[in-house]
Amino acid sequence: MTTAKNLRSVPLARRLLSATWITVGLAVVVTLLVSLRYPIILVNSLVTGGMWALMAAGLALVFGVMNIPNFAHGEFFMVGTLVAYYVFTPIHKMLLKNPSPLLSVVAPFAGILLAGVVGAVVGLTIEFLLFRQLRRRSKEQWVMNTFLLTAGLSVILINGTQLIWGTEFKGIPRYWEVRPLVLLGVSLSVDRVVVFGIALVTILAFWLFMRRSSLGRAMRAVAQDEVGAQLMGIDLNLVHMLTLGLSSALAALSGASLLFMFPSYPTVGLKPLYVAWYVVILAGLGNVEGAIAGGFIVALLQTLTSYFIGVGWEDVVPTALIILILLFKPSGLFGSEVKGIWEQ
Amino acid sequence: MLEIKGLDAGYDFLQVLWEVGLDVAEGEFVALLGPNGAGKTTTLRAVAGLVAPTRGEVLFRGRSVRGLPAHQVSRQGISFVSETLNLFPAMSVHENLLLGAYTVRDAARQQASLDFVFELFPRLHERRDQLAGTLSGGERKMLAIARGIMSSPALLLVDEPSLGLAPMLTLAVFEALQTLRRRGMTILLVEQNVNTTLHLVDRAYVLEQGRVVLQGKGADLLNDPHVQKAYLGI
Repeated sequence: MTTAKNLRSVPLARRLLSATWITVGLAVVVTLLVSLRYPIILVNSLVTGGMWALMAAGLALVFGVMNIPNFAHGEFFMVGTLVAYYVFTPIHKMLLKNPSPLLSVVAPFAGILLAGVVGAVVGLTIEFLLFRQLRRRSKEQWVMNTFLLTAGLSVILINGTQLIWGTEFKGIPRYWEVRPLVLLGVSLSVDRVVVFGIALVTILAFWLFMRRSSLGRAMRAVAQDEVGAQLMGIDLNLVHMLTLGLSSALAALSGASLLFMFPSYPTVGLKPLYVAWYVVILAGLGNVEGAIAGGFIVALLQTLTSYFIGVGWEDVVPTALIILILLFKPSGLFGSEVKGIWEQ
Repeated sequence: MLEIKGLDAGYDFLQVLWEVGLDVAEGEFVALLGPNGAGKTTTLRAVAGLVAPTRGEVLFRGRSVRGLPAHQVSRQGISFVSETLNLFPAMSVHENLLLGAYTVRDAARQQASLDFVFELFPRLHERRDQLAGTLSGGERKMLAIARGIMSSPALLLVDEPSLGLAPMLTLAVFEALQTLRRRGMTILLVEQNVNTTLHLVDRAYVLEQGRVVLQGKGADLLNDPHVQKAYLGI
């Protein structure tokens, strides 16, 4: 991680005492202690945490590279649930009549993958039709204007979905009709295990892409110095398309993966959107790697709260804690060095 | 190699350049001199595609690059090392250099460029894995120039490399530019350090208030009464 590298010159004792590491350390200790008595909490935090990480990473990416505070990010989650539902349900019905073991294993993956692809296409379309047009005309008040644009887009997408697909809940009880696994004395639905696997694989692939590939490096370059990136021969339009496509694909992927927990309906994306914003604010705006860690921390807070205090408090406790952390560390936990490109 | 003809350019309602004309032949080392605000940086920015000229022509190898977006100008083989350097502060020296060779797809050529710039600036090799944002001022300049030549450009535009540097480091940077020139790179240099620059370059242009007022061989300009009075304090 870049932050860790920068801290090399700081003495070890001060480094360990910094707010960041106290919080991360506490999170790890709490997880370990709690999971000894209540393994279910660990399991649930990991499953939702993985998906919050994907949501938040996409949000952080778009803010870091394009300086857009994306309040329509939840609608990509919604698109994901919708696509997965309409791909998976017909196949599932067909399978009830003439069962095929192979297809019943593969069908959910097909739905989830296709959701990611559709999400990417929707993202590319929006970059092309909205942001590129605005960028060409004026970059003044960019953050405020794009905030309003995405807020409006969110309203349009929610109501459009309601108009076309109606308001009823479109959910599924589970993806895989298999008996639950038993792990550490907890019975675990296969769905949760697979979803956690999808999150891990996606995070790893995304991280490798950003760190190792030439295009990923170009995206980080645009986030750090837009003019510098252009002088290196990097096509900004290409990077912007890629950024929004990737970010919306990640959101759609997490929506589709969590379909068994979040049945699809027009406003299903709002809660994941708020959570992704908690995470991004907690981790530091525009810090993608921090957002991945933050996703798990917020999921842990939520699971702990709903288990010990009550589901109604699920959003209150994380928000209160985030306010506390920001009071002492206004730049967020992982103190992002990547500032908005047009504010440097 | 580079020909600028009757170039007008500026920002919004402020016109900075008035019919600027200059040319740089292949393999030549040319300087653009002049006081603050004369339009030296704007000229380079107009060539690099960061400022859109309102009139005139910019020809590179006989083809117009006027109005092209900056990334396409860069792909034509023109590399611009800006005054603000535009480094990627949260990336390592190595990653900054790799981005310099972003348009080079051939891994062997990339490695050759990397070896070359590490030979030119051994200091950067020592700092290979350090973040660019934590380098000293001189090291940043070296990194910016090194990154600028990673794509083996045909033409290198350098904006005030001596700015804010200690005399020793300025010398090192100028020596590096001379080495590049001996290797056949064409260089257009913007400088305020008139005396040193004129000893170094083949030819120079003097820009004042957005117009070219003087041009000639470096040695001739050193003896020019206007240059001596205004820039050399003789």
